[in-house]
Amino acid sequence: MAETLLDIAMMHSDTLIARAKQGDQNAQGKLVQLWYKRIYNFSYKFFMDHDLAMEVSQKTFISMCRSLAGLQDIARFKSWLYKIAVNYCREEARKKKGSRSLSFDVVWNREAEDSPQWESSSQRYANPESQYQQAELSDILQQALYELSDEQREVVIMKEYEGLKFREIAEVLNISENTVKSRMYYGLDGLKKILERKNITKDTIGYEL
Amino acid sequence: MSYKPDQNDWMAYLYGELEGAEKEKMEQYLLSDANARKELEQFQYLRKMMGAVEDKEVIAPPIVLGDNKQRFIWNTPAVRIISSIAASLLIIMLVGKFTDTQISMSGNEFKISFGEPKKIEATQSVTSTPLLSAEEVQNMINQSLNQNNIAMQTSWKETQQKLDASVRSNLASNSNKIDRLVKEASSASQDQIRQFVSTLQNENTEVVKNYFQLTASEQKKYIENLLVDFAKYLQQQRSDDLQLVQTQLKAIEQNTDIFKQETEQILSSIITTVNAAEVKETKY
Repeated sequence: MAETLLDIAMMHSDTLIARAKQGDQNAQGKLVQLWYKRIYNFSYKFFMDHDLAMEVSQKTFISMCRSLAGLQDIARFKSWLYKIAVNYCREEARKKKGSRSLSFDVVWNREAEDSPQWESSSQRYANPESQYQQAELSDILQQALYELSDEQREVVIMKEYEGLKFREIAEVLNISENTVKSRMYYGLDGLKKILERKNITKDTIGYEL
Repeated sequence: MSYKPDQNDWMAYLYGELEGAEKEKMEQYLLSDANARKELEQFQYLRKMMGAVEDKEVIAPPIVLGDNKQRFIWNTPAVRIISSIAASLLIIMLVGKFTDTQISMSGNEFKISFGEPKKIEATQSVTSTPLLSAEEVQNMINQSLNQNNIAMQTSWKETQQKLDASVRSNLASNSNKIDRLVKEASSASQDQIRQFVSTLQNENTEVVKNYFQLTASEQKKYIENLLVDFAKYLQQQRSDDLQLVQTQLKAIEQNTDIFKQETEQILSSIITTVNAAEVKETKY
């Protein structure tokens, strides 16, 4: 995964965090701008739902701004932030549990309605067809991810897409590192099986990956 | 084949978090086991495929911070109603305090009064009066009236006397003054008139004298001047006449001279013409 300017900024935001911690609203605002996309995408992959992802993101950052003063180690800001996000995700998931079937409907409808995201996809692919297929594959993979259990899903997202270290994930989830690794293993294994079931293998989409 | 990696080692190796001896062990195991290599490949391919899931672009909305929660409590209708009732009660209490409002209920009466009720004093005075009888009151009134009358009369008399005295004194002084003035005027007038008349006569005679003197001298001067002027006039007139006569004489002389010359010319011309005719005649 190529490092963008945003990633670099996120890696070197210690002074920003320190200022935000002291109550500098400007710094807090910048911190929100910096991390909003990550938290949103984490929540989106967790729920496959824009509204829920937005809600969780907003709650996460409101909570962040309020309780940033209580953060003891600036170096642990990342895992601290994801911890807040994971907690809100679990809270929303609990609320949703009663109407799980409905949520599936929503998911299916979304998949049917979602047009490929021309605007958002980067211009790496010159070929529009492969771009389209990329977008389609993205949706299928996201769907596969969604079929994992919550525990596995959050670990896989944090590891695979958010780039947290196993130690950091363990910190976020308050579990041992080995448990994280084992959940990751079963998560990947589960994904493999789901994709096989969906007939998405090396042979069917061998190209361009 | 003594080493067989567990799930944790697999994951750590896959994500590059296996270090040192364990990493070496894992690599050796992979080299020796084709199945393990295949498994790793599968994992790596899965990771690659999962990498196709793209991040969704999102714009961070403004995060509204917690102060509004407190504001929310203040803005709840219940709190507002209660606070408004409390405020109005407070205002009523304050107004009551400042205007000294008193509300009382007694029997069928409901009274709202501002300030101390003064009724109590009135009733006290009413209850105290019956101690004096009507006659006593009448006596007291009469007594006071009498006293008043006496005082009035005395003061009246005093003022009257004072007035009389002052009027008399004024009259006396005034009449004296007038008499004196009149006497002075009458005694002084005859002598003064005589003096005045005599002075007037004297002044008049002097004025007339002066006038006549002045006029006589001025008339003399005037007549003298007049005579001198007339003499001058006559002399001027004579000289003018003389000049006139002289000039006329000169003019006559000139005329005669001119006439003489003309006649001479005419004569000469006649002579010449006659001579010329004679010459002609002789020629023919």
